[in-house]
Amino acid sequence: MDLHGVDIYIWSATTPDVPKECGKFTLKLISNRGTRIYPGPAPEIDLLDWPRCRYLSDTPVTDAEVDALVGTITSQGFRWSKCQKLFIKDGVNQFSEPY
Amino acid sequence: MARQVCLIRGDGTGPELVAAVETIFRAANIDIDWVEVEAGLKCVEAGKPIVPDETIAKIKEVGVGLKAPMTTPIGKGSVSPNVTLRKKLDLYACVRPVRSLPGVKTPFDDLDMVIFRENTEDLYAQIEYMVTDHVAQSIKLISDFGSERIARAAFEYARKHDRKKVVAVHKANIMKIADGLFLRVCQRVAQDYPEIEFWDNIVDNQCMQLVTRWKIYDVLVMPNLYGDIVSDLAAGMMGGLGVAPGANYGTNCALFEAVHGSAPKYTGMNKVNPTALLLSATLMLDHLDMHEKRVAIEGALESTLARGIKTYDLGGDATTSGFAEAVASELKA
Repeated sequence: MDLHGVDIYIWSATTPDVPKECGKFTLKLISNRGTRIYPGPAPEIDLLDWPRCRYLSDTPVTDAEVDALVGTITSQGFRWSKCQKLFIKDGVNQFSEPY
Repeated sequence: MARQVCLIRGDGTGPELVAAVETIFRAANIDIDWVEVEAGLKCVEAGKPIVPDETIAKIKEVGVGLKAPMTTPIGKGSVSPNVTLRKKLDLYACVRPVRSLPGVKTPFDDLDMVIFRENTEDLYAQIEYMVTDHVAQSIKLISDFGSERIARAAFEYARKHDRKKVVAVHKANIMKIADGLFLRVCQRVAQDYPEIEFWDNIVDNQCMQLVTRWKIYDVLVMPNLYGDIVSDLAAGMMGGLGVAPGANYGTNCALFEAVHGSAPKYTGMNKVNPTALLLSATLMLDHLDMHEKRVAIEGALESTLARGIKTYDLGGDATTSGFAEAVASELKA
């Protein structure tokens, strides 16, 4: 499996204004309770304090590049509670999409 | 003035079932302005999302919808239109009343309970990963917020409908953190309803007790996945998915649906049982404060079944439209 990104779960009561681009990574989506919030239109649903920010790169990345991205998020004052690496295998995403 | 209701005619046999409900509603002189909205396989085939944003917006605006079964396309990237509607409309409470119907013989007499299934969290958050080449992980998401609103919905329903008992169903002996949170919240909410008896059961024990001691149960409340399984078990006890209604409630809107599939192999055969969609529609009438109409239609339905007029799934030979006409005739009698 090739490493292509990371889901960063932020501890935040609101949808965080995280960077849209960072190094090789693009912010593809933010979801909450498995439902897509960003990009819009965001459904009017009640949110938990656990938004997920999905960063992906078109090309494979290294662990160090993922570490640097997470470090950037931390340095900007966002408090994350969980990170999950995102893999692609034979062109197929090894992670689910939100609704 | 006619009350507006969004209508999704559905896929497969869905339009035939809707036609049956329309026949019966006309006979009952129910004044509804149906607002047709699109969702399902037809949208996908037309190159649209399975539930277009316009559909979500319209249901939100109108506040009430009736949905016939839809087909989830098989293949990469396909999503369930039903789950999409529940998630995007935040329809957090799936309510499944199950009760014995005259003429529908099952081993479970005097069945009468209501299942409250949390509809937006748990493994249905659908957060999944391959974390190595050999290990998959699904996240079971349980929140205090999600648990409280489904627990409160169950207790409020019990209070409003003079139900005496609420049971929380869980697996907190194993999933001590996730299901433990659900259970703790239910126990806390129960304290606000001292007139209602409350206890909890582990889900496997609950399944066993449902088929051995079903008469003691009244209202059950549980997380999403257990609710999915237990509510279909209960539907089987009632006589099958062909007769089991469903309702999905959010804070500002509600969607009523038969819980069975679209049965595409029977499309156009005028064969499937419209009872589940009809009973879902009568739940909708209750929601619209048309209680007398609900009672009238359910009475006509029960009389029809008691006369032995049934569709094939219940051992009869009535067609979909023939069954609807028979219920309509009872209403006019």
